Amino acid sequence: MSALESGLCRYVLLTYAHSGDSLRRVLDEISGDEAPFGLFGAAGGYALAARRAMHEFHTGPDTWKHIAVGQRQWARLNPRAILRDRPLTLEDYEAAPFLVEPFRLPDNCLVNDGGRACILTSLERARDLKQPPVTIMGLGQHNPSADLYQPGHLTGPTGAQAAFRQALGMAGITRSDIDACQIYDCFTYTVEITLQDYGFFEPGQGAQWFAGGTIEPGGAMPVNTSGGQLAEAYHMGLTPLTEAVMQLMGRCGARQLGPETATKKPEIILCSDNGGVLQTHACCILRRWTP
Amino acid sequence: MTVPGKPSPRLDADAAPFWEACRSHRLQVQRCTACGQVRWPPAFLCPRCHGRDADWVTCSGKGRVYSFVVYHKAFHPAFEGDVPYVVAIVALDEGPCLVSNIVGCDPSRVHCEMPVQVTWEDRPNRITVPLFRPIDG
Repeated sequence: MSALESGLCRYVLLTYAHSGDSLRRVLDEISGDEAPFGLFGAAGGYALAARRAMHEFHTGPDTWKHIAVGQRQWARLNPRAILRDRPLTLEDYEAAPFLVEPFRLPDNCLVNDGGRACILTSLERARDLKQPPVTIMGLGQHNPSADLYQPGHLTGPTGAQAAFRQALGMAGITRSDIDACQIYDCFTYTVEITLQDYGFFEPGQGAQWFAGGTIEPGGAMPVNTSGGQLAEAYHMGLTPLTEAVMQLMGRCGARQLGPETATKKPEIILCSDNGGVLQTHACCILRRWTP
Repeated sequence: MTVPGKPSPRLDADAAPFWEACRSHRLQVQRCTACGQVRWPPAFLCPRCHGRDADWVTCSGKGRVYSFVVYHKAFHPAFEGDVPYVVAIVALDEGPCLVSNIVGCDPSRVHCEMPVQVTWEDRPNRITVPLFRPIDG
């Protein structure tokens, strides 16, 4: 942003792409001192965090099933979603096999080919472009831990809490101004702990908050409206970010927030990204631009 | 008991004394001589005070399960015969946490805060790994 504001550059391309097979190999090889004990992949670390969370506050499959099912409802409306034609019910979730318990298959994100991009420029330059611009209101980042297995942050507060505070301060808004969320969702638990640390509900209140379709089409707080990484496609932090931009531009077709999906036409959308196993966190608040 | 083909641990200069002690069925971790912090993993600097000197302290081998997961799918062929197997973060009584397996117990019986005790598994290539089993009672 400061490079654009200072005139060092006029356009910045944010892009990410991968082949699913090479990403899978990278993820499978995430191991070090833990490999002799059979801890492989990202699922192991996140499942350890989720299991500890089940010990510390009320959470578990009864919370996560609403996230998996809710995001799949959005994927049904998205022609680009990989799982568009694979509906998921609460009963399907409960019958799905465990991979790394406590995670069942639908708790895990996709591994796929593909890519995403978006372009940053100054508002002055963007005003008369073909597509309406979206503005950045606030940014925040907080990285609580370098050492995964000497834990203290896995069950919250993750970096989400401090990062969100920064972003809200920069934007000059409060949480109640947010109309929808696009949350980094490598696993269902990631969505829960992120929204919990953002303060949308108290620790352990997720099951009630998510139940009844809160995040689904027609819900009070739409979350991951493309289907997210669980059901649309995994493109690191660009899955949530590009969906937020597209929603605010009004380019989302059948899944467009607003009257089409019995939700509020969005003014402000919150996006998140996290790295490692909940070790780093960044968030971004975007706003629809009205001339 | 020997299990062929499982990945070997990192045997660099920092970690070698740990694995050497494991061969004698002794669990030892570093302690910073400057600030007294007991730490894992082995490193040449203290993560708390940046002190360069450390000695090794022998642990009791007792701890508790901080968290655990059950692998129902093997992500490495050497673990195919083990599924379902338990990977846990074990908080040692001395402070640091180790990642290891919980053995000698049905996976459905494992729970957070379960007291555990080290047990040793000798593997090929002169590798011995510390595993943990429930303390009965």
